[in-house]
Amino acid sequence: MREDLLWVEKYRPKKIADVIGNEEAKAAFIEWLKNTRRTKKALLLYGPPGVGKTTLVNAAANEFGFRVVEMNASDTRSEKAINRVAGPATAFAALDTFTTESKGNVLFMDEVDGIAGNEDRGGVSTILRIIEDSRIPVIMAANDPDLEKLRPLKKVSALVRFHQVRIPMIIALLQKVCQREHVKAEFEALERIAENSRGDVRSAINDLQSLAETTKTLTLQDTVVLSARNRDVGMDETLREYFSVKSLLGASKLLSYLSVDYDDLLMAVGDNLPLRYTDPEDLAAAYDFVSRADMFRGRIGVENWHLLRYFFNSLAQAAAVSPESYQPFTLISPPIRVITLFWTKGKRTILDAICGKIGRRCHVSRATAKTDFIPFLKILLANQKADEVVSWFEFQPEEVEFLAKMSRL
Amino acid sequence: MVVEDEGVMWVEKYRPKTLDEVVDLKDIVESLKAFMRNPKTMPHLLLAGIPGTGKTTVALCIARELFGQNWRTFTLELNASDERGIDTVRDRVKDFSRYSRSAFGNVPFALIILDESDQMTGPAQTALRRIMETSSRTSRFILICNQSGKIIEPIQSRCAIFRFSKLDRKAMIEHLCCIAKKENVTLSPEAAERIVDYAEGDLRHAINALQTASAYKDGFVDEKIVSLVVGEASPIQVQLMIRKALFGDFIDARKKMYDLIGSFGFSGSEIVRQMQRELFKMSDLTPEQKADLANIIGEYDYRLTQGANSDIQLSALLAQFAKIGRAKGEAA
Repeated sequence: MREDLLWVEKYRPKKIADVIGNEEAKAAFIEWLKNTRRTKKALLLYGPPGVGKTTLVNAAANEFGFRVVEMNASDTRSEKAINRVAGPATAFAALDTFTTESKGNVLFMDEVDGIAGNEDRGGVSTILRIIEDSRIPVIMAANDPDLEKLRPLKKVSALVRFHQVRIPMIIALLQKVCQREHVKAEFEALERIAENSRGDVRSAINDLQSLAETTKTLTLQDTVVLSARNRDVGMDETLREYFSVKSLLGASKLLSYLSVDYDDLLMAVGDNLPLRYTDPEDLAAAYDFVSRADMFRGRIGVENWHLLRYFFNSLAQAAAVSPESYQPFTLISPPIRVITLFWTKGKRTILDAICGKIGRRCHVSRATAKTDFIPFLKILLANQKADEVVSWFEFQPEEVEFLAKMSRL
Repeated sequence: MVVEDEGVMWVEKYRPKTLDEVVDLKDIVESLKAFMRNPKTMPHLLLAGIPGTGKTTVALCIARELFGQNWRTFTLELNASDERGIDTVRDRVKDFSRYSRSAFGNVPFALIILDESDQMTGPAQTALRRIMETSSRTSRFILICNQSGKIIEPIQSRCAIFRFSKLDRKAMIEHLCCIAKKENVTLSPEAAERIVDYAEGDLRHAINALQTASAYKDGFVDEKIVSLVVGEASPIQVQLMIRKALFGDFIDARKKMYDLIGSFGFSGSEIVRQMQRELFKMSDLTPEQKADLANIIGEYDYRLTQGANSDIQLSALLAQFAKIGRAKGEAA
């Protein structure tokens, strides 16, 4: 059983109550369903992927007993195709008689933002007409509601917004799945999976399943592959193209069609730059551009998105410092930060505690304790009267051991 | 009643308990003592100056002179570089100043000592200014900082400002000898000179070095032992990183940088600060080279505050060093 089924399917909620997170959106959705005098004929659910939009529609259908006529992005959505599926369905039960008790049909169009220009010619206008003609409720789901072409749809629809699911809820869900699947997992491992999912329940469960396939007891260590893998599959490809561009124009073009997360790209470029430019002069010039790009990233923060073009401009300049010097090289992966820093989190916590104790005793900040006291303390502890020092600072045995083993600053 | 804990670390054991005991700060001490005669007249204070010159000591002395043995009850000591945001500072300060202390006898106000207050951001300082105003009837603030320029004007104008300069060599040597005598340590004059050289006007550093040196060979400190201790306690990793970068070995330098972040938990700006400090100790660079490199460090110190990823900024900084290092190598 375990091998045959994707856990996302196996554990897909059958009841509305089992859909985690997004309580407000759930309430709004149910209210719309139950309302017999809807002002808008259609409903648009929007929000990031994997937060339960489709699941909620299906769970509601299951609970209230109506039938969902579904279309999604994998179907072509040209006018003809839509009419073929939607036409008969919408003609049956009358919209004004649909209630949650009537066990009629609803038309559900998933991923409406996936309607592409050419192949789905006339797609949006057809959907509009269906909404207009439909005698049954029309529910749509989309990730990005800001797309220009969706504007006509938004006008005729009631909107329900979904948010990322909060990390603790995802962790709780993962724990439940682990229990049912008899997988032992460290809490920190689940925490990391959940954090890595960025509020996407589907990808969290998928990650859990694929990690659990290789081991019965999941540790934090096992999760280190995650960020490397979850990096868009296109990252290596993108990096290779990026580092081998022939000109600034080429770099700009490449970046304008970027399909990977640009924060990840920035870090990956930073990691790999010394492998690309072996000449110190080139390297310094390129890093200067990357540093500028990072500054623009910092200034963008969460709102000044108009600065993004300068970010890309600087990043493009970094790629085109000396196109003639390009030699193929092996990319660093996973990111250096993940390799070197991830394992030291525990260490840093204990060091922080030590510095805190020094700070309280000697009236200094933790930073000053680290640089001005620890080097001396290490020597003091190695010499005489160590016990006195230890008890005065109230150091725990593991903290003393840590100080002794700690490498010299 | 809690008896004051003398302390194992000499910096605490010999930290002056009264303003009269304070080393080499005659003018400052005199003005402060004038406030002590009538505490109600004491304004908020801003103590500014380089590390290890007695700012915290003076603040703690004031607390003792105001409140006597129970000074801890009426004093809130916070370190701005430890408290993550103004919210913690604000909550604790508010809670602390809210309860009237008049019930405890003749206490004029509560004292709030905010160390390293120049580490606070602009908005945090603005919030602090408001707190200083609303709690002025019940509390006094002593702000301590390295650079008073980093404190916003409105706060500066609400404080009496005292500037602490580098401690006098002679006074430092005297103080070290005094401690050595009390601890039954034989300290040779050359050793004392050597310690003071190393400490560069930072008395805390000097006392820590003295204590560590006297633990080496029981009760006997000469120049050799001082050099040994100073050598062992100096941060070599940062110098090593700088050297590797200047040698053109960027990848190794970057590895060192990640080591520093990983095993010592340094933040980007802490590493930059360390680089600045260590750079000037490197004897094989000319003053001109040091100045050039310091300029670059300054630029990236600023970029760190603007950027989103400290790793990238630090890498870029090391790349600049590597470039200059190569140019230096070719010229030689």
